[in-house]
Amino acid sequence: MAASKCNVTRLTEALSRQLLDSVDSVLFDCDGVIWRGDQAIPGASEVINSLKKNGKRVFFVTNNSTKTRQMYADKLGKLGFDASADEVFGTAYCSAVYLKNVCKLDGKVYLIGSNAMRQELEDVGIRPVGVGPDPISGGQKDWANVPLDNEVRAVLVGFDEHFSYMKLNRALQYLCYPDCQFVGTNTDTRLPLEGGKAVPGTGCLLKAVETAAQRQAQVVGKPSSFMFECVASQFGLDPERCLMVGDRLDTDIMLGSNCGLKTLLTLTGVSTVAEAEANQKSECPQRQKMVPDYYIESIADILPALQA
Amino acid sequence: MAGGGCVTLRGAQIRDLLDSKHDVLFDCDGVIWNGETAVTGAPEVVSLLKQRGKRVFFVTNNCTRPRENYVQKFSRLGFTDVAEEEIFSSAYCSAAYLRDVARLQGKVYVIGCGGVMKELRDAGVPVAEEEDAEPGASIYTCPLDPDVKAVLVGYDENFTFMKLAKACCYLRSPECLFLATDPDPWHPLTGGRVTPGSGSLTAALETASSRKATVIGKPSRFMFECISSQFGLDPARSLMIGDRLETDVLFGSNCGLTTVLTLTGVSTLQEALAYRDSQEPQQKHCAPDYVMESVADFLQALEE
Repeated sequence: MAASKCNVTRLTEALSRQLLDSVDSVLFDCDGVIWRGDQAIPGASEVINSLKKNGKRVFFVTNNSTKTRQMYADKLGKLGFDASADEVFGTAYCSAVYLKNVCKLDGKVYLIGSNAMRQELEDVGIRPVGVGPDPISGGQKDWANVPLDNEVRAVLVGFDEHFSYMKLNRALQYLCYPDCQFVGTNTDTRLPLEGGKAVPGTGCLLKAVETAAQRQAQVVGKPSSFMFECVASQFGLDPERCLMVGDRLDTDIMLGSNCGLKTLLTLTGVSTVAEAEANQKSECPQRQKMVPDYYIESIADILPALQA
Repeated sequence: MAGGGCVTLRGAQIRDLLDSKHDVLFDCDGVIWNGETAVTGAPEVVSLLKQRGKRVFFVTNNCTRPRENYVQKFSRLGFTDVAEEEIFSSAYCSAAYLRDVARLQGKVYVIGCGGVMKELRDAGVPVAEEEDAEPGASIYTCPLDPDVKAVLVGYDENFTFMKLAKACCYLRSPECLFLATDPDPWHPLTGGRVTPGSGSLTAALETASSRKATVIGKPSRFMFECISSQFGLDPARSLMIGDRLETDVLFGSNCGLTTVLTLTGVSTLQEALAYRDSQEPQQKHCAPDYVMESVADFLQALEE
């Protein structure tokens, strides 16, 4: 929880050492923190590898639903990070766990999402239907009467570049049944900047489905605490001994606040110090949760403290 | 009228109401027809109103057909002498808005169906051509037309992620107008089924662009202003008849019209009463002045 301060605190080298001594585990967001697109943030891999050498546990917590844990592990490896698949918690994996353990899903799921999501669902024993292109055919009457798989008991929405009116329609037909569960991977409105262009994110697709169905989805991704609970339950983490490092006040830092973790904002991504300070000055309790304990220009700046 | 009392119309009240009004605005789906079936008595009501010297207009959020198709549908369902000029759809009004209010200099990028495209062409509003997807095209490299100065989103059965991404790119320019044909989240089909509406696609684009669309259709006032600019309506002498509280009745309320809810469509009497008894002002505006089972209830008053 951020204590009341006049300004958001910059993480100096001295404070770095203090902070690192006070935690056993560090959770990193990925986009805008350790990499941007396919480029590692300079110094990021040295920091992660150094943390591990110093006996800290390291985890990767991302709202991105387009990769499986293994695909993330491969990307991490390629970029020089010492990491394994079981340290990665993306929403493709976490949604599958959520459907299985929290929703206790007994049946199939209608999936608007990627092959990675399909893979993670199959790996926990849930059968998805609907992945891939789904072009329109016929007329309005046909759409309302589109054949439904009567084993479907949930609709899951993640990032899907094959999103179409037909998929929206199918999801709506399933969601007309009140006992059909409704889950979304995350509400991010844009994908991270890749090649300088912002692309619509899962949040837009989820909003379309929520609007048509006039229902609210259960959201798995940050800032929902489920992402942390997923890591914590598998690795026995003590929130007070955990640090969340992210670039977004409304997802990463909010998650940290919600779960009682220490929080560190890096400035290599979306949010700015000015935004953090504005949140701090505001009277709104929700905004107060989006104030980090510390900020740093880049996580590479922690290196001196680690190597001391 | 700021929120009505949901009075059930009976007998002499119906005649008195009609005597006090000169212009009658009807919603279509759920009021005068359901799918391809006219509501019993509706064609006669429309005819008799005109015979009694009233003006009749049709105000629909349904943007899937151009007006000439609506004329054919009216004829097919037994409504005689309904003229194109009396029909105001959100597609027609969106085109009118771009041409007359926005005075668009440039093209409009459209997420919409054939009905919208036709109305835009008929109004002389240039539409950005949808290029066939090149083999290497991706959501990261969509080609943009520099002449696009507005984005219009409506019901589109060919909606794709690519269209959403393109529209979002255009909307990054603050000068680019952002219009939506109507806010309906879903449309009812016969048999109690539903299909996603313009509102759901608009919501996706608003979320992507962090901008709010200017909505042309009910409950926004624009459709009334469009009719009024052509026919000179006096709100105090106009009656709005609809079946959907959050669009038709709220529209009537926003424009200062007397409102009637018919129970042959989407909304129920229970929902109307809930709005009437709500503490929130916005919700109260969704409560109709009057409720009737069906437009056929006008027949007895008209036939006298």
